[in-house]
Amino acid sequence: MRKSYEHCIRCTICVENCPVFKVNPQYPGPKQAGPDAMRFRIEGEKKVDSWISLCTQCRRCEQVCPHDVKPATLILQAQMEYVKYNGAKPTQIIFSNFHFISHLASFFAPVANFATSLTIVKKMMKLVGLRDDIPFPRFSFRTMQRNKVKPEQGKRKAVFFHGCYLNGNAPDTGRNIVRLMQDLGVEVLVPPQVCCGLPALGNGNEKKAKSFAQKNAEIFASKVEQGYDIIYACTSCGHTLIHSYPELAGEKGKMIAENSWNIYEYIEKLINEKQLVLKLKEVKKVVSYHVPCHLKGSGKPYPALGLFHSIPGIELHVMDDNCCGFSGSYGFKKKNRETTERLGKIAVKAHLESNPDVIISDCGACRMQIENYTDVRVCDPIEILKESLE
Amino acid sequence: MKYDVVIIGGGMTGLISSIYLSSKGLKTAVVSKGDPVCSISSGCIDVAGDFQGIPDDHPYTMAGREKVRSALMYFKEIMKDAGLPYWGEVFENRSIYTPIAKKRETCLVPFSMKNADGAKGKSLHIISFQGMKDFFPGYFKEDTSDFNCSLFDAGTLTTVGIATKFDDPAFREQFILWLKECRIQEEFIGIPAVLGTKNPQKLIDQIELVTGCKVFEIPTLPPSMPGLRLFRKLKSYSSLQGVDFFWGHGISEITEEENLVTSLIIDQPGRPTIIEGRSFILTTGSFVSGGLFAEKESIRETVFNLPVSIPPGKPRLNDSFFDTEQPLGRAGIRVSSHYQPVDSPWKNIFVAGSILENSQIMKYHCGHGLAIVTGLDAAENCEEYLK
Ligand SMILES: Cc1cc2nc3c(=O)[nH]c(=O)nc-3n(C[C@H](O)[C@H](O)[C@H](O)COP(=O)(O)OP(=O)(O)OC[C@H]3O[C@@H](n4cnc5c(N)ncnc54)[C@H](O)[C@@H]3O)c2cc1C
Repeated sequence: MRKSYEHCIRCTICVENCPVFKVNPQYPGPKQAGPDAMRFRIEGEKKVDSWISLCTQCRRCEQVCPHDVKPATLILQAQMEYVKYNGAKPTQIIFSNFHFISHLASFFAPVANFATSLTIVKKMMKLVGLRDDIPFPRFSFRTMQRNKVKPEQGKRKAVFFHGCYLNGNAPDTGRNIVRLMQDLGVEVLVPPQVCCGLPALGNGNEKKAKSFAQKNAEIFASKVEQGYDIIYACTSCGHTLIHSYPELAGEKGKMIAENSWNIYEYIEKLINEKQLVLKLKEVKKVVSYHVPCHLKGSGKPYPALGLFHSIPGIELHVMDDNCCGFSGSYGFKKKNRETTERLGKIAVKAHLESNPDVIISDCGACRMQIENYTDVRVCDPIEILKESLE
Repeated sequence: MKYDVVIIGGGMTGLISSIYLSSKGLKTAVVSKGDPVCSISSGCIDVAGDFQGIPDDHPYTMAGREKVRSALMYFKEIMKDAGLPYWGEVFENRSIYTPIAKKRETCLVPFSMKNADGAKGKSLHIISFQGMKDFFPGYFKEDTSDFNCSLFDAGTLTTVGIATKFDDPAFREQFILWLKECRIQEEFIGIPAVLGTKNPQKLIDQIELVTGCKVFEIPTLPPSMPGLRLFRKLKSYSSLQGVDFFWGHGISEITEEENLVTSLIIDQPGRPTIIEGRSFILTTGSFVSGGLFAEKESIRETVFNLPVSIPPGKPRLNDSFFDTEQPLGRAGIRVSSHYQPVDSPWKNIFVAGSILENSQIMKYHCGHGLAIVTGLDAAENCEEYLK
């Protein structure tokens, strides 16, 4: 078997689809950063490609490559190698451990939120390489873990993988998801869990990512064995569960990958299996749907679309050509500010063309980013579905 | 997931088929491993070098002249409706520039290249960008009565980077202000095709207004914005018509019952995605896109393992790449007049596009044209089959 990068025919299709390459002349694009540069990455040699961290890991290149070259995966390897040889930067340490920070900050939420708004703290954040021009996400004391929705008996049983953002930063949305699923007749458990591991991977810490993945795999695989399905709403967590867990967590990881469902995919499955009939009421709104890169990367029709198209009165615009530029921890780093801002403005401008009442997105980071550039309401798709079911 | 038609391959051929079939109310899906050649092409529709000399065994002959005409008219209609109109007469060629200034013949062009045809021998001003990769204004001096060039500083060097800047109204305004200062005297202005990632027509109109010149875009080497604009428009048009896309992964398995293919399984991590279909159209392209794969001794069709016709006798590749005919260019799937593969066990599959035997895209300069004509024709045959 030839190595994947040797299949590259240098067609530049990946380059045409790279968000960072579009706006940052310092970044050579996925073709050069991935397959081209692989030939020069010699085992054991000191790594000098510091620019490799400019890739956001949106993975658009992998979806468009006709020859199974996996540029983003090659780049991720190079990013991890770089950190291994040159040491982690403070921001990389912070975001690899975001799980713990999120827990701590939620516990001290009022203090933490107050602190991150203080000038002195902002100065410190800037000093370690974080941006001080956008608000740090606000933490909530009433996390999903601390304030669980009471499970109700249901025809189907599912465990919810909430991820860090819904748990610590948007727990009300998370609880709305659980309640809605329960209303649809699904018994939903929210077991204790840790970060999916994606931020650790993206910040060069494979060891940490593995330890997170194995811990989650342990917890969720045992639930699968008891007949539960795994459901998720955050599309980046979902992408990691399905695409990375088999590698990060072995056999149990594979089990997670095979039994994880996007919530809308799950609802559709219930409808197809005739376990559920939805009565959707009119929602008279122009809705612009920001499809997160990691949902686009699932390679399937977007599961929410079937449902949303059947909501009477809705005018839905599906926007999947633009990456919002935030990409989780990437957008918080000072060095990425310009790239992130440019991409955010491009994405928001495209949304505003349809004059929407609301912009929806499955990804918390995308929502946070879009809110930076518009006053139009931005929310999780579940809020619209909830409105239609009420 | 169950479909009336599952199209494998999301190139020009597959997208045209999908647009036609979904417009007929058939539930249609497209499965594609990756993006197609169209997105790095010049965006111009080559129909045929000259309409003479097309041999009897060429897919065009099978389709017939009337089908060629009606399919290209259909394409023009779609593009107009989609907001990226094309210009040109179906059986007439017009000339455009290549990135190395050599003129070449093509048939339908996006409006942004319409004016290139008249520029031969006239006075020409090339506008390019400081440090832009792989675009050299000096090449264009030949064949002009008067020549000049100006360079704008876009602050970035690549086609993708500059085109992205042109999407921003503030940047366009800055460019127009600069252009006014240039006081261009020549009759024509040629600009590399970087005037935005979307249809640049409004900007071109504006440039013509402030300069009084006839303006045209010149295709660049890949990455190529006109190709990308065409591909994205077709894909989103198809999606708006309700076509489902399974994009980014190949096919790991097919299932069959008697003489029918019943479903495909997508090669991706996690739970297998199974796509059931009543009929299938194979439009996976030739060697460049991986529809055909050349091994040492044989050529393989990568989805159904259909028999591949190869011209008898050796060699398959001639040493001189461009001057002589390449027998390998004839390799492909042999089909009946209904676009069904011969010597295949299945009744419900159809094949179209550059994967067809004897298409010889390079020799007959018929890339997108052949894709459109056979894509539509095969789709109509498939529709007939489903009735
Ligand atoms: C660099 C270049 C520039 C060109 N420029 C022009 C031009 O300017 N004008 C012109 O008229 N013609 C041009 N051509 C020719 C023209 O682009 C093609 O002949 C035509 O577009 C072919 O279309 P197609 O749909 O048949 O195949 P393709 O465009 O090759 O599409 C095939 C699709 O199938 C997918 N696929 C492949 N294998 C599998 C699999 N196993 N499973 C699932 N999916 C699969 C691929 O990812 C791809 O998306 C150019 C060709 C090249 C190489």
